[in-house]
Amino acid sequence: MTGVELHHGAATDVGLVREVNEDAFLVAPPVFVVADGMGGHDRGDIASAIVVEEFRRLADAGYDPARGPAVVAATLLGAQARIAAYDAAQRAQGARDFHAGTTAVVALLIEQSGEPKWLLANLGDSRVYKYNHGRLEQVSVDHSLVQDLVDAGTIIASDALVHPERHVITRALGGSGSTDADYFVLPLSAAERLVLCSDGVSGMIDDQHIEGILAAAEDPRDAADQMVAAAVAAGGKDNATAVVVDVVGLAAETPYDSERQRVSLEEKLGALP
Amino acid sequence: MSRSVSTWSYRPGEWVAIFGAATTLLLPDSEKQRAAQLWELVDGGAGFDATLDQVLAPGLSVLPAFVLIGTGEGPTKVIVRGAGVRATLTTNDESVELDGSTVTTWVERTLEGVTALTVSVGGAGADGPDYLIDGGLVRVARIDLPPHAAPGAAEAAPGAAEAAPVVAVVEAVPEAVPEAVPEAVTGADAEGPATEVFSIDEPSPLDDEADTSSVSPPGFDPMPEDGPAQDASGMVWASDAPPAPPMAPPLAPPFPGAVAVPDDHDGMTRAGAAGDDVGPTPPGIPGQPPAPSVTRPVATLVISNGESVEVDRVVLIGRAPEARRFTATEQPRLVTVPSALHEISSTHIEVRPGSGADHGSAVVTDMGSTNGTVLVQPGLEPEELQPGIAVQLIPGAIINLGDGVTIQVMNP
Repeated sequence: MTGVELHHGAATDVGLVREVNEDAFLVAPPVFVVADGMGGHDRGDIASAIVVEEFRRLADAGYDPARGPAVVAATLLGAQARIAAYDAAQRAQGARDFHAGTTAVVALLIEQSGEPKWLLANLGDSRVYKYNHGRLEQVSVDHSLVQDLVDAGTIIASDALVHPERHVITRALGGSGSTDADYFVLPLSAAERLVLCSDGVSGMIDDQHIEGILAAAEDPRDAADQMVAAAVAAGGKDNATAVVVDVVGLAAETPYDSERQRVSLEEKLGALP
Repeated sequence: MSRSVSTWSYRPGEWVAIFGAATTLLLPDSEKQRAAQLWELVDGGAGFDATLDQVLAPGLSVLPAFVLIGTGEGPTKVIVRGAGVRATLTTNDESVELDGSTVTTWVERTLEGVTALTVSVGGAGADGPDYLIDGGLVRVARIDLPPHAAPGAAEAAPGAAEAAPVVAVVEAVPEAVPEAVPEAVTGADAEGPATEVFSIDEPSPLDDEADTSSVSPPGFDPMPEDGPAQDASGMVWASDAPPAPPMAPPLAPPFPGAVAVPDDHDGMTRAGAAGDDVGPTPPGIPGQPPAPSVTRPVATLVISNGESVEVDRVVLIGRAPEARRFTATEQPRLVTVPSALHEISSTHIEVRPGSGADHGSAVVTDMGSTNGTVLVQPGLEPEELQPGIAVQLIPGAIINLGDGVTIQVMNP
C-alpha cells in the first residue's frame, strides 16, 4: 500500500493454566490477524493456524485493495473449507463429533475512493480496539452470548466480565453455525494505533488497563509484550495474544523514525553493537 | 426457449421461487431473507450471470442449496445445488437429469433446444395441484416449463403471502397445453434413461448414481436440511439463550443450527448457540426490516463541495466517516466532507435507501453528531434531526451539516 508505513508488535503467551497455546497471529503488513482456536482435544490450534496461513497466503499473493470485504470474505471461506476438510479427515479416522473451530479478527489496509483505509473483520470474541488521542475504544462487537445478553439489556457490561458463560461465542469459523464476519471500515486518521487481541487479554485485564499500557508504551512491540504480560500476571487463565499496529505519521508523536523500526529487537535491547 | 416471458407451472411447497423475465431462482425456506433481497434483481430481468453473482455473494458455504435457471436468449442454463434437488431437461433427442445431492459445489448444464424443464426440490407437496405463473415470488416444491399437464385451479399458493415483497402474478389458464409435454418428462423422479447419450458436457459421474441419496465427498460437511436435528450428544448448547433484542429486525438465520463444539477442551473459548440470534445484526433503523444492501439509486446527494453521490446503498457522510458492522456484501459508501472548524463529526449522518413505508426514497439519520444536523424539506420548517431517528427525504431537501457544508437531495 503506497504511502502508508506501519509499525507493529505482537506477543502471545500460553498463560498459566492451559497446556497448549491455541491462539495464532499474523503480522504480514498490511495484513494483521489474531485467531483464537477452540476445543483443546479437537486441536483448535490447527483451526487458528489455518486461518493465519490463509491470510499469510493473501498477504504474500497480494489483493485488490478496492475489493476489501470480498477479499476477506473469500479468505475466511477458504479457511472455513479447510477446517471443515480437517474435521472430516479426523472424523474419518474415527474421532467422533470432531469440531475444530476458531475466532478471527483481521485488520488490513484497503482503498476506498482512492484513499487508504483500515478494513476490520471480526468473527467470534477476539477483539479490535482503536486507540486515538489517548483514548481506547473497542471497535468490534463480540459474537458472544454475554454480548447478546448485554445487547438485550439482560445484564450490564461489567457483569459480562464475570458471567459464567462469558466464553461461549455465537459465531466462529469451523462448526456448522454462521461464519459471516462483521466488517468495519476506519479512516487511517481514526486510529493512530490498532490493537487486535484474543479474549485471553481482554478477558483478564479491563479496557482501562489496556489504555494505560498503550499510553505508556511508545513502541508497539513493547505495547504488545506488556499487554500479554499483564494478562498473564492477572491470572493467565487463557492463551493471551496481542497485535499492536501503529500508522507512522499519525501517531501523536513519532517515537522513532522508520529507520529505527528496522533495527532488530536485539540491538534495541543492547545485545548487539 | 427464447421467449422473453415464460409461463411456468409450480406446485406449492417449502422453497421460495422467484420467477423473473430471464432467470428463475429457487432458494430453500431458510434463505427467505436472501430471497427477499434478490427478488428485485431477478424480477428486474437480471441475466443468469448477474443473478449468480449476487446469489453467491455471501459465499457458497452459507448457501446449502439453490437452483438457478437461465431461460433468456441463447441456450438454457441450469445450476442445481443441495440434497434432494433435481432438475430434468428434455430436448428433442434426449433427457438429462441433474442431481444436486452428490457434489460439493453444484451441477451445471447448458443445453440448446430444451423443450421441457422440470425442477423438484423436495418431497413436500409432491403430488399437489399445479398452478400457472409467469412472474413473481411463490413457495414451491416443484416447477415445470412448459406448464405441467392438467394444471389445477389458478390460485396463489397459501404460503405465498409469507415472504416479504410478494408480487405473485398468477394467470388463470383453464386448459393448457397438455400435448406439448412429453409424458416421460412430467415425472420429476424419472430416472432419465437417456443420460448416457448426452455428451455436450463432460460426463459427470453423478449421473450414474442419481438415485444415491446423499454421498458426501471427503472434506465436505453436508448442510443438514434440518439443522438442529444433527446434534449428537456431547454438544455444548447455551442453556438459556437470551431473548432476541426487542428492536432487532426479524432475520432468518442462515440455518437454524448453531456452532456446536464438544465440551471437552483445553482452551476456554468455546462455541455455543444463541437461539435465534445467530447471524449478523443488521445495522440501521431499529424496528424496521433492513433495506436490501444495494438497490437501485433512490436519490442523488449533491454536496456543496461539488461532489455528487448516488444513494443505492448505505452512505455515511462526515469529516472522517467510519463504517461499523456491515456484511461482506453491503459495504457502505464513505463520503468525506471538509470541515475546517471541526464542526462536523467524524461520522455525522447516514443516508440509505428506505425500507418499509420509506421504500423507494432515501432516509437520513443523524449518527449522534456533536453539533447536530438541520434538515430543510421543501415547504416545511427547518428541523433539527434527532440522533438515531431516520427521516424520509423529499427531493429538493437540503441537509446542513455545519461548517458551510450542505447536501442537496435530488432525484436519481
